[in-house]
Amino acid sequence: MTHALKKLSRTVCGVVLAASIGVLADTSAFAEEDLWPTLRAEAFGDRPIAEENGYVVLETPKKVEDAAIVPLTVRIPPHVKDKLKSLSIFIDNNPDPKVATLNFGPAAGVGGERSFATRVRVDNFSHARAVLELEDGSLHMATKFLSAAGGCAAMQAKDPDADMAGIGKTVVRTFSPALSSNPIWSGQVMIKHPNHNGMQLDINTATFIPERYVREVTVERDGELVFKLDSTFSISTNPNFRFTFAKGDNNELDVSVVDTDGVAFDGTTKRESGS
Amino acid sequence: MSKQPCDMPSAGRTMHPCDGRVVSTLTRRGVVLAALASASLPLLRHLPAYAAIDDVTEVAPGVFVHQGLYEVQSAANGGDIANASFVVGSEAVAVIDTSGSAKLGVQLRDAIRAVTDKPIRYVINTHMHPDHVFGNAAFKQDNPKFVGHYKLARALGTRKEGYLAANEQMVGSDAFAGSEVILPTVSIKEPTKLDLGDRELLLEPQPTAHTDNDLIVTDLKTETLFLGDLLFSVHVPTIDGSIAGWLSVLDDLEQRNVARVVPGHGPKTMELPEALAPQKRYLSAIADDVRRQIAEGKTLEEATKSAGFSEKDAWELFDQYHVRNVTAAYAELEWE
Repeated sequence: MTHALKKLSRTVCGVVLAASIGVLADTSAFAEEDLWPTLRAEAFGDRPIAEENGYVVLETPKKVEDAAIVPLTVRIPPHVKDKLKSLSIFIDNNPDPKVATLNFGPAAGVGGERSFATRVRVDNFSHARAVLELEDGSLHMATKFLSAAGGCAAMQAKDPDADMAGIGKTVVRTFSPALSSNPIWSGQVMIKHPNHNGMQLDINTATFIPERYVREVTVERDGELVFKLDSTFSISTNPNFRFTFAKGDNNELDVSVVDTDGVAFDGTTKRESGS
Repeated sequence: MSKQPCDMPSAGRTMHPCDGRVVSTLTRRGVVLAALASASLPLLRHLPAYAAIDDVTEVAPGVFVHQGLYEVQSAANGGDIANASFVVGSEAVAVIDTSGSAKLGVQLRDAIRAVTDKPIRYVINTHMHPDHVFGNAAFKQDNPKFVGHYKLARALGTRKEGYLAANEQMVGSDAFAGSEVILPTVSIKEPTKLDLGDRELLLEPQPTAHTDNDLIVTDLKTETLFLGDLLFSVHVPTIDGSIAGWLSVLDDLEQRNVARVVPGHGPKTMELPEALAPQKRYLSAIADDVRRQIAEGKTLEEATKSAGFSEKDAWELFDQYHVRNVTAAYAELEWE
């Protein structure tokens, strides 16, 4: 569904500043058309979206140092008691603005602060948005501006050979809360995957390295769904997710991953000694 | 002994020709012919910026080094921020890194021509970064072999558009005019010697460290080791490859016995092993802090606020690069 949008916002490779190992000198040259009305209409139609009402908080770095690995955290403060239905993250001016969409299941948890964190690529000066959908269908949005650009260089692997080695290795961890009475636990999924965006030229063949990225991640706790996540290549190389889930009986996480080549990977906490 | 370097198949030599406007209008201030090692010379950063690349020093017989400024590329410095060197044999000249623009490359070429008329046979790039490669265009007229690590072509190829746009933006279109990405025509996968006539250069490709395409060049005659950005001094190191790999390469370098080393950023010459110590301390501080924080379950964001900050006052440009270094280190070390 995002194909048209990809076309719409795909900037000419390299017109934007690249992060080489240099430092961005000029952050004043931001003059892009506003893509949000289109994105919004496509994702949510004409449903009302409450903005900056404290239901959802988006945290981004004050200064982006590496446009290829920008940490992004979404928090749903403890005063929000509702069950969560979905969470959508956008970076308006990325080649694919839809970064990730999570559809939550019964093990997503209630009764404390819930959160989701990942690392994203930023292709151009852009708004980043987190849109939270509660069980009652209401939509709540937090927005931040990212003053950073990596051009296509933001998508470059530091060591492409190392990135391809061990592709699909999936590490899953849980972190028990300080208070054992806390109904919310947190977990982490790390996936070894280059997340190729299809825009890198292979100099040896003069063709573009084919798009290949993680498109679906499903996390279950003790067999119950925490969330199913649809993602794009706006997620950094070696996709990394931190999230919360409802405390269960065993608190074992099983994770299944599918990439755009249709290759499936999986990971679990069961093979490791639980933490 | 010398292995035959393998030629790259049809490496991209079809890019825009260097346009004819690249002319050095700067007065040549003469080549400083200092004798032998010169680590005690005053740092060039105190000289007026962007007029100084023809200021080269003979640090050993036939070995010349220009020192870049401890700055980020800007209109004021024209991209003159990295060290650039050349070595003169009885038959030919080899250039080792060409600075950050075609214009600076022309100035470097003028400095070579002030010393010798021998043909410039090799232009060697120690790695992919723009401040070391964009002067290559000035040497096309010499029809040299462009020499680099076997992964340099891929690295430059995928970054070409971004590097061109970013560096033009930083130094300005006038200063950057004529600059282009020139891919290596000779690709080094095994230790290889190049003959300049009565002196040989040894080229050693490294595993991923500062980048995934670092090449060490040694002038065997004077035991001068050109480390490129495997060695930073004063200027904070920048990690664009692997922190663990870099620390491992430093362990190897500590064992070497040479007369002098030329850093990619730093004084014209330094001595082993002490030249390596500050950088090893910096990288180790980051690696130790980040590994501990990962073990404690700390996040990337938390690490970027504290890891390695004990090094803050020890380096120039710390604020510009340190958090990025920690980010890269964390993303790498969490997979250990």
